[in-house]
Amino acid sequence: MDFKQYLQVLKDNTPYDFSDYSDNSIKRRLQKVIADNDLTLDDLLKKTQCDKGFVERLVEDITVNTTELFRDPELWPVFYEKLLPTLKGKKTFNIWHAGCSSGMEVYSNLIILNELGLLDKARIYATDISAGMVRSCKKGSYRYEFNKNQIAEFEKVLKKTPINGISQIDFSKYFDIDEENDRINVKEFLRKKVDVRQHDLVQEKVPFYNKFDVIFCRNVLIYFNASLQSKIYQMFHNQLYPKGSMILGNHESLTGFYKTKFLKNGPLYTKTNAFHFKYQ
Amino acid sequence: MIRPKYKAVVIGGSAGSFSVVSKLLSQLRSDFPLPVIICLHRLKHVRSGLVESIRLKSNLEVIEPNDKEAIVGGKVYLAPSNYHLFVEYDGTFSLSTEEPLNHSRPSIDHTLTSAAYVYRNKLIGIVLTGANKDGAKGMKDIADKKGITIIQDPKTCEMDTMPKSVARLIKPDKVLSPEEITNYLNKLAI
Repeated sequence: MDFKQYLQVLKDNTPYDFSDYSDNSIKRRLQKVIADNDLTLDDLLKKTQCDKGFVERLVEDITVNTTELFRDPELWPVFYEKLLPTLKGKKTFNIWHAGCSSGMEVYSNLIILNELGLLDKARIYATDISAGMVRSCKKGSYRYEFNKNQIAEFEKVLKKTPINGISQIDFSKYFDIDEENDRINVKEFLRKKVDVRQHDLVQEKVPFYNKFDVIFCRNVLIYFNASLQSKIYQMFHNQLYPKGSMILGNHESLTGFYKTKFLKNGPLYTKTNAFHFKYQ
Repeated sequence: MIRPKYKAVVIGGSAGSFSVVSKLLSQLRSDFPLPVIICLHRLKHVRSGLVESIRLKSNLEVIEPNDKEAIVGGKVYLAPSNYHLFVEYDGTFSLSTEEPLNHSRPSIDHTLTSAAYVYRNKLIGIVLTGANKDGAKGMKDIADKKGITIIQDPKTCEMDTMPKSVARLIKPDKVLSPEEITNYLNKLAI
């Protein structure tokens, strides 16, 4: 049995469909799970068919959950200098973090909104394919040592490019730090601000009724093949308000047809020609 | 149709390799026809600047590729900071932020191994100076697929752990100084 046949078994027996993930990457992830858990192919098949808990762990393991507080620190000035000014005038605005992993980027986003006094206007939604990651995102408790440098890097960026004159953030407003246990815990007022749900982008069904001003989807679609990528870009296009923006990873870009449907400005992709373009 | 003898060059390096790569690219002939795929370790928080500094001296265009970007001959591709860089069968790159391998992201092994599977005996793999063993397994994969394996002569390395760990796994086809590597590539009959 090769990995494609296995993905078919997974698809037939569980809600998860990885068949349009990029071949090499899904193969590599599966091999890693098999090796890490010391499984035989037989075990894998059996557990996939009858052990729901195993499948949930498998999904968590084969998806990539790399994220950091203020990951890519240079990204954030783009967000607060270029994007937020266009939203300030609205009564409310909606932001979706698609593929939010453990939520570190979601909370980084919330901190910036709060510094600008925009937290009350913002409605924040976050989704991830993995139930475990949804729990982590709701919990907002991370390794401190790992994130300490990240915060320091962001502080450097903030000094260079202040948020509306703010060049220093008092992070104790947002986190309780427990150095002894290596934890940095997001405070409740931020956590309760986020609507976190389990959702698989591959299903292409949108889990929300409202449209969005901003969709963060960073380093998620790189694991999909080109045809699935296109479907997701189409879905995001449909879910954005006119002039809404996607924010992709630093080394993701649109190709072909979709290039004309979004205006690129660094990592921001702003929806254009909305009315020419209907979902089929 | 004449089948090309080689399709790509892939280079891995760590501590001390920046100046070697920079010099190599400044002396590589400007009509070098193959893609040159480079994976260098960098400090986690020195994320920018590497591509710009390499570009300054290079005779060929230097790119940090995006995910799914087509691989084109005569261009130099540098693994972007904090991503693994993979070569795909359809002649494109893919990127990944999965966990570091050998404590590194980008990992040289990931890039070398993926290139070995795609280009097989039409690949030239080069491992330069470095203070760890990332790249050794990837070079073994290149050797297994009958590609050409070259290590920087440990005597000329700022840190010789990396080429030496390759030599412990396989017998490299060539052990060359940086100048000899440049000459070898410039004279390559492709």
